[in-house]
Amino acid sequence: MLRPRIIPCLLIHNGGLVKTVQFGDPKYVGDPLNAVRIFNEKEVDELMVVDIDASRHGRSPNEQLIAQMAAECRMPLCYGGGIKSVEQVERLIGLGVEKVAMSSAAVADSGLLGRCAERVGRQSVVVVIDVKTSGLLRKPEVVTLNGTNRTGLDPVKFAQSVQEAGAGEIVLNSVDRDGKMAGYDLELIERVKKVVHVPLTVLGGAGSFDDIRALAQRYPVIGAAAGSLFVFKGKYRAVLINYPPRSERDVLARPSARPAA
Amino acid sequence: MVTLADYGLGNIQAFAHIYDRLNIPVEVATTPGQIAKAERIILPGVGAFDWAMRRLNASGLREALDERVLKGGVPVLGVCVGMQMMARGSDEGALPGLGWIDAEVRKFDASVIGDSPLPHMGWNDVHPASSGTLFRGIEAPRYYFLHTYYFAPDSSADVLATANYGSDFAAAVARDNVFGTQFHPEKSHQWGIDLLRNFAEL
Amino acid sequence: MTKHVYPERRPYQICTKLVMDTSDPGITFDADGVCHHYHDFHQNVKPHWHVGPEGRQRLEAMVDLIKKDGKGRDFDCLMGLSGGADSSFMLHMMVKEFGLRPLVFHVDGGWNSELAVSNIQVLIDKLGLDLFTEVINWEEMRDFQLAMFKSGVPHIDIPQDHAFIAVLYEFAKKYKVKYILNGGNISTECVRRPLDIIYWGTDMRQINDILGRFGTVPMKTYPFSSIFYHKLYLRYFGGVKVFKPLNYMNYVQSEAKDTLEREYGWKPYPQKHFESRFTRFFEGYWLPTRFGYDMRRVEFSSMILTGQMTRDEALARLEQPAYDPELIRQDFDYIAAKIGITSDQLREYHEMPLKFWWDYKNIRNVFEAGEWVLSRIAGTRRGGAF
Repeated sequence: MLRPRIIPCLLIHNGGLVKTVQFGDPKYVGDPLNAVRIFNEKEVDELMVVDIDASRHGRSPNEQLIAQMAAECRMPLCYGGGIKSVEQVERLIGLGVEKVAMSSAAVADSGLLGRCAERVGRQSVVVVIDVKTSGLLRKPEVVTLNGTNRTGLDPVKFAQSVQEAGAGEIVLNSVDRDGKMAGYDLELIERVKKVVHVPLTVLGGAGSFDDIRALAQRYPVIGAAAGSLFVFKGKYRAVLINYPPRSERDVLARPSARPAA
Repeated sequence: MVTLADYGLGNIQAFAHIYDRLNIPVEVATTPGQIAKAERIILPGVGAFDWAMRRLNASGLREALDERVLKGGVPVLGVCVGMQMMARGSDEGALPGLGWIDAEVRKFDASVIGDSPLPHMGWNDVHPASSGTLFRGIEAPRYYFLHTYYFAPDSSADVLATANYGSDFAAAVARDNVFGTQFHPEKSHQWGIDLLRNFAEL
Repeated sequence: MTKHVYPERRPYQICTKLVMDTSDPGITFDADGVCHHYHDFHQNVKPHWHVGPEGRQRLEAMVDLIKKDGKGRDFDCLMGLSGGADSSFMLHMMVKEFGLRPLVFHVDGGWNSELAVSNIQVLIDKLGLDLFTEVINWEEMRDFQLAMFKSGVPHIDIPQDHAFIAVLYEFAKKYKVKYILNGGNISTECVRRPLDIIYWGTDMRQINDILGRFGTVPMKTYPFSSIFYHKLYLRYFGGVKVFKPLNYMNYVQSEAKDTLEREYGWKPYPQKHFESRFTRFFEGYWLPTRFGYDMRRVEFSSMILTGQMTRDEALARLEQPAYDPELIRQDFDYIAAKIGITSDQLREYHEMPLKFWWDYKNIRNVFEAGEWVLSRIAGTRRGGAF
């Protein structure tokens, strides 16, 4: 039985791991390589690493660091940040990354997605959709470049279009809920899930394993990603990498965990 | 010695690291000469079928592989697209495959998988048909899958293990010295490491 | 100024009662071949070591003081958790049995093993405590560690140790906690490690000299401490006291590990110091192969003195390498990559001429004088964590 994927999401800023709140206020949480290694030993389902500076500052991915991280992963690794070309995507796949994630590049040039899919296969092309609710009408909107650029695009329509253009997975990220640990944006997820038939991964707001459990019960096939949840512990936000043990994760896959047909 | 066929696609590093840690000699083959002397071969692969076949054909390794596998009879393990390439052909592309196993590669059918998403992505349980060879000693195996097309052998005798996505499909195949896994053992933690060790010890 | 020579040229000799040998600079033997550590323990340590009812009394008295001081405040004492057996057991005892309310912190220097992280978590969760962490900036830590390698001295573990001490005292100051609990213990650590190998981690003159010569990254956030501020000011004017509870109970490490496993699902480490990949490499490989110094001799000798191990057992274990050679090989490459150098470069540092604390600027004399003074007025000894 295909299990829900539970995915730690790590952010890299100035070469170090950070955690943000609503995409701001980065708190240093340590060395990326050691974190990746610990997650690997915890046998996480898969791992997502995003360089939040690269696209914004026009930098390309730090291939040396990426290769080192990929070498430590005995589970799939998805990397995002600063990707703009098919050649970069191919090179990263060659370094041992299973999936490559794009955000601003997908907005700028949707043809890029198809070209990447042709080379490395659709399953390795991921589009990250950062969604911020803004304006007087509180309309959700796709934002890019670490939340600094507003595109005016509607997330649901955008999800459909990148899917058509060749994305093999969509990561739906709520900027408003980032770092708050107050639950996923279930309403937004429901609207996007309706139109998406590639795997969907959601990010932003997970506060406890209960949030993940609730998500898996509603959507049997989904990716539940989290940053703060797997990196912080307790009310003083101690930095301590944690992840649900296999016994807890396995419960999610049991048929009884599913909603009645 | 495990020989990794490097034709430009596939996670060579991951396989190399695993065998390194297991202290099993491993080499990366980029020349036909290396393939010709190989004792056992891993054929990795990611990406689209045609692109992979094109790269393989252009790498210069194709003929040496055919020779070593079909005539030499050395064990070969195709992984993901590497396995798919061993079929006659794929719905995904126009180029012919290696034809090492009588099979076609088909797209998961919407009528079978319902509204489950494609590609098939994530950890899924694998049910070996027998407890020998690749799955020897592995308890409750589960592996990471990442694919939109599946391997459909003509003969069910070639199915070494199944997984379920809508219905059962071949998660692993074996015919004489030719083995294949649709899933990624190099990215499936201990289950994958054990399977790769088993392959090295065949 | 005496010229220091290392290693001293002398014929090999090993203590007939312990397993300390001539790899320990400064070791002396009596006519029966018994080393000074043995006598030092029986003369200077054992008489003041109270386990049993008297120990219990002193422990309870200390606990009362701590509780009184902590009334009405969030925390009554302070302790660092590395994930290792000693500090873990101490936490268990002081919270579960004595009801203390410690501020528990962990210093993340970038080398945590998964087992350490997981062990810390089970303790914190089951005891219902809140954890603080201090994450050292990795770029700075990395450069500091690389500078230590470049300097050629034995004590390359200083960057981790120093940060711990500095963070500890910073917490004491910030949260106005007077009582620091330290998991150092006579039971496994009574034999003192030679200063030539494990030099003072708080000699800022030395640290600054080494960083000045070999460091490349500005130390903007790394927590530096000053022994003057910490040991002198805070301890003798600020009223901060360090207390080693494990010395007041019959601490048997193997039993402690069993208790931790049973009550918390705490998992034992394959070997000592496996909480930190760097420390296990440092003690299990670097020191023995580069300086001929095997720290296990100190640990086992301590355990022989405290009846937890026989000399034969110790000798048998010393026959085996400190840890699996295959793992050592992997760690070597991992550490080189993590520090940002090639394995070949790390090999060069491993082979370079030996250097010691006296090859760099230092205030060793001040420390020696201070140690003498403190031992007279406060009965303290250098040992344990600091």
